[in-house]
Amino acid sequence: MNPILEQIYATILPSAPFVIAAYALVWLALLVYVVFVTVRLKRTEAQVTALEEALAHRQTDETASVLKKD
Amino acid sequence: MGKDGYRSPQTGGVLDRIAPVVTLIGALLSTAGFVLAFTLAGPVNGATVNGVEVIGGEMVSNQLLFSQKIFYFHMPVAVTSMVMIGFVAYFGIRFLQTRDAAWDERARIAAGIALLFVLATMFTGEMWERFEWGVWWTWEPRLTTYFILMLLVFAYFVMRASFDEPERRATFASVYGIVMFIDVPITFAITRIVPSSVHPTIFRTDSGLSPDMLLPLLLSLFGMLCIAYGLFRLRLRAQELDERVEHIKEQLDEA
Repeated sequence: MNPILEQIYATILPSAPFVIAAYALVWLALLVYVVFVTVRLKRTEAQVTALEEALAHRQTDETASVLKKD
Repeated sequence: MGKDGYRSPQTGGVLDRIAPVVTLIGALLSTAGFVLAFTLAGPVNGATVNGVEVIGGEMVSNQLLFSQKIFYFHMPVAVTSMVMIGFVAYFGIRFLQTRDAAWDERARIAAGIALLFVLATMFTGEMWERFEWGVWWTWEPRLTTYFILMLLVFAYFVMRASFDEPERRATFASVYGIVMFIDVPITFAITRIVPSSVHPTIFRTDSGLSPDMLLPLLLSLFGMLCIAYGLFRLRLRAQELDERVEHIKEQLDEA
């Protein structure tokens, strides 16, 4: 390569991994956080579904016991 | 609404409705900032070389410093972390004024997002430092004050975990959050207080940032702020859903 161009570009190739790593780490940190929140949300949604089912069962049982008494 | 006109902060309102749009705008802005940092923003010149070459129709006689491109994300995430710590202090003040646990919950979530952006600032800073200064760490004034800020944010969560009683925990956390915020203006102003700092002073009228550099920087900055807002609302809704589930469980157990 032309020695002047070599001097001009001297820092570009060696610094590229650091620049890429910096941007990748920011996005990775954000992605990990979003995944963490999403997993928690999914878990909570599953709990809501289970609670709704439990509530429905309880209501059915209560209705049945009231009908029996009558 | 209470007798004195106080209204507890709620979720599900307009702030939540705009959150997905704001997050999307944030993603678009930060992506545009990223692209423009490598296309519109000219390369920063370093040391003079032994001649001149024409590159892209321009005479170049200096080394082109590619590592400077880290700056276009490093500064926005750092500012975002400071803004979030500002919100921790604000929510702390609101809790102390009202004793409403909803404010403490918001402070804790804001601190979590502040920590995320503090870590992002440290990651990007480390990459710059390792390449440009040849070390993983140095006790430079800005780095030192920001490192203290990171430790303070970690300590915020350690302190919260050390209290069992919610009211006491919220009171101490609120006061601590306000005290923690004191380090933010110090960190921000340290490059002015200690001029020997190798960190440049960006926010000034003669910062030397040309419009082609300022545009990607501002796009990234507003993008990161929008993303932080979106994450905050998402985390808040998840937290409130968790609390509702716990509340229903308790009611079912009692019934």
